[in-house]
Amino acid sequence: MLFYTRFCALLSKLSLMLAVAGLIVLIACVQYQVVGRYVFNDTPTWAEALALLLVLYITALGVAVGVRDAGHIGMDSIVSLLPEKFRLKLEIVIHLLVGLFGALMVQNGWLWTTMKWNDKKPMLSVPSGLDFLPLVIAGVLIVLFSIEHIIALLQGKEVIPAWN
Amino acid sequence: MELTVLGLTFAALLLIGVPVAFAVGLASVATIMVAGLPVAVVFQKMVGGMQVFSFLAIPFFIFAGELMLHGGIADRIVRLANSLVGHVRGGLGMSNVVGCTLFGGVAGSPLADVSAMGSVMIPLMKKEGYDADYAVNVTTHASLVGALMPTSHNIILFTLATAGLASVSVLGMIMACLIPALILTLLNLAAAYGVAVKRGYPTHGKFAGWVEVARSFAVALPGLLIIAIILVGILSGVFTATESAATAVLWALIVTIVVYRSLSWKDFIKSCAKACKTTGVVLLLIGISSAFGYFLALYDVPQRTGELMSSITQTPWMIFLMINLMLFVLGTFLDMAPTLLICTPVFLPIAQQYGMDPTQFGVMILINCALGLNTPPVGTTQFVGCAIAGISVSDVMKSIWPFYGALIAALMLVTYVPAVSLWLPNLIMGK
Amino acid sequence: LEFRSSDVHNSEEYPTVTAVKFMSEHLKKASGGKHSIKVFNKGALGSEKETVDQVKIGALDMTRVNISPMNSICAKTNIPVLPFLFRSVDHLHNVLDGPIGEEIAKDCEAQGFILLAYYDSGSRSVYSKKPVKSIADTKGMKIRVQQSDLWVGVATAMGANPTPMPAGEVLTALKTGLVDAAENNYPSYGSGFRHFEAAKYYNKTEHSMAPEVLLFSKLIWDKLPKAEQDMVRAAAKASVPFNRQAWAAYEKKELDMVKAAGTEIVEVDKKSFQDAMTPVYDKFAGTPDMKRLVKAVMDTK
Ligand code: NA
Ligand code: NA
Repeated sequence: MLFYTRFCALLSKLSLMLAVAGLIVLIACVQYQVVGRYVFNDTPTWAEALALLLVLYITALGVAVGVRDAGHIGMDSIVSLLPEKFRLKLEIVIHLLVGLFGALMVQNGWLWTTMKWNDKKPMLSVPSGLDFLPLVIAGVLIVLFSIEHIIALLQGKEVIPAWN
Repeated sequence: MELTVLGLTFAALLLIGVPVAFAVGLASVATIMVAGLPVAVVFQKMVGGMQVFSFLAIPFFIFAGELMLHGGIADRIVRLANSLVGHVRGGLGMSNVVGCTLFGGVAGSPLADVSAMGSVMIPLMKKEGYDADYAVNVTTHASLVGALMPTSHNIILFTLATAGLASVSVLGMIMACLIPALILTLLNLAAAYGVAVKRGYPTHGKFAGWVEVARSFAVALPGLLIIAIILVGILSGVFTATESAATAVLWALIVTIVVYRSLSWKDFIKSCAKACKTTGVVLLLIGISSAFGYFLALYDVPQRTGELMSSITQTPWMIFLMINLMLFVLGTFLDMAPTLLICTPVFLPIAQQYGMDPTQFGVMILINCALGLNTPPVGTTQFVGCAIAGISVSDVMKSIWPFYGALIAALMLVTYVPAVSLWLPNLIMGK
Repeated sequence: LEFRSSDVHNSEEYPTVTAVKFMSEHLKKASGGKHSIKVFNKGALGSEKETVDQVKIGALDMTRVNISPMNSICAKTNIPVLPFLFRSVDHLHNVLDGPIGEEIAKDCEAQGFILLAYYDSGSRSVYSKKPVKSIADTKGMKIRVQQSDLWVGVATAMGANPTPMPAGEVLTALKTGLVDAAENNYPSYGSGFRHFEAAKYYNKTEHSMAPEVLLFSKLIWDKLPKAEQDMVRAAAKASVPFNRQAWAAYEKKELDMVKAAGTEIVEVDKKSFQDAMTPVYDKFAGTPDMKRLVKAVMDTK
């Protein structure tokens, strides 16, 4: 368990670092578009397409880390009014459902990724399937982190956010 | 049948506490399985919903808001607000309203606003003998104005939600929100003043003079300039909305790192990380809502809701009132983003059918959702305000009415007087 | 069965929307009420690209899209998009109704799409704040184009600065001067996106006649008995002349409207543009097979 937690913590930290890097590149992309249009009178047509692709990856990573850092999710709802024992069970159910959606993201994301792999994205000449790869990445991370949460709940522990 | 599944699973998942984005997603999957269509469509819509260029402004405005939150501009804005209105009765309450509004313009998010201004103002007001419930109510209500400011990512969210229903430009929406924001601020001031007089709160010395006002304005100016950059940038045609948002981030970095030198490396990383997580939550919700919207369209929900409503009444003002009431009820349970994304496709066509301009509808739904942010059981800004003050939501609810009154008055003005929201955009962009 | 068909146009009177509704009536009669088509317009089910993918996986029966989104899926669909290829509307119709139209449809079928019909979309021209009389006038001009390699290529060949941007942003961009020009057909310039409010000159470059196509999901198609497939095909075929007539009327109405609103229609030296398009043809129709098709189009009467 300790190993698994450490592994998840590392994954989460890595994901967030990548997302931050992506965010900075994203801003650079859009700024470069402005510079291109005014300074060179030549709008870089790839900049916007790249930005739109990047944002999908940032979102995927951000969502996954959000799932791990969420702590007691559902505390705003009736869950918080239930007796301790029941609440624990319900929280496990919630993490199971979130994990289930993560698994669906993996399955369907993969389906689209492979199906659109030979189709080229306009402006970038990369496979359109790359649009759907973030679903797979986010899904895998969400499943891993949901499992971590369930184990932690069963052991009466808490998942500590890895970075900030 | 499919719609019943959609509605019931969504409500059940939400009720047991599944995070809203996942609740929408799982409900969509359940529905599409019942309909016998490939589940893959849900995930296609999810990705498709996130690939709209103007939508890039959202992570940028969120990021700029985070930088401003950690970058020490809140203190400078407090000083400016204090110099302006600190001397009138309930002075700290008044400067709180002014400060939150100004910071709202800088950060464009009620949540960032209440976190930044609340953590400065609420303890200060408590120390000076103001009741905690008053301090919380003033802060949480004044910070709602942030949702109407040019830096608000919720404005972008709304324009995205109108895709295919009406053509609402980001610039038009930004312009349309300005006067309502001003009106709401004035009403907030009136509410804060009224309660202060009734409770006999003190005055704090004399007006410090225009020199002090000018001095503190100069100090706060670099931060406040962010509003001007966005407005002038888009209006002059130098930037698209997205580019102006990216420039806002750049400016926020310059102000907090170079000008104020108040953003440490740790703060910077913290802002980046938080921005990524918030972006993830908001964008996931946008993606999943577009899957939800697919079903709403497939099963004619807007049309059926419209028919249901017009079977009750045909009078426009009654219809608008009903829309507001339904939005309010949903807004008590849902946060701003899901309400905007889920309700716009349903109610906008109805409002349009009864003669409301889509931009006006946008301002209306933004204010209505803002009301929900301060309404239990799920009132995000209210939670933060209460947490800072260390009091319970039920304590806060006791003295909330004057502030609700201000919000509701603004909401009614926007709903029934089109010029309040439309005059400025029409003046500037032509009609 | 009630087939679902998608369309992105907002107006209920748009000629592609009415054509599919016309087809539905035809199909209903032919099948004795067994089959019909429900049209979801206003992009309710998604963008053109999205609905194409939905049709591919069998989540949606039919979709009506412009042929451009098919360009990255089946190469031969690039042909009717190529700039300055068609001499006239009649030439376009003769090509699409003949063996070349057939060949493009075959190419789509290999990718999972039954191409039922080609509909009209008029011709696209550049509209701007300053008149464009020849290619000299588009030099350095910031022209908004659709987010596709071919359109960027065309604008580059015109000597312009192509600025890809989503359709919803264009009116504001024209008004604020972020872009100097855009390009589209009369209805989109007119009541569709109201760009005539911001760009007064409609310069008849008529650079592309990219048609619309009506696609049926092959996955679903293959489950229909042959007799019913024929019924659907016949109904689609019947809707084509209806669409062409409706288009001509619709375009005329829009042209009158924008003229009344003060638009100036500018005649253009097309030859100067045409001569500059070689790089586009090299890039998008450079293979021997595509060259053969281009030649076949030119040889069509
Ligand atoms: Na913001
Ligand atoms: Na609420």
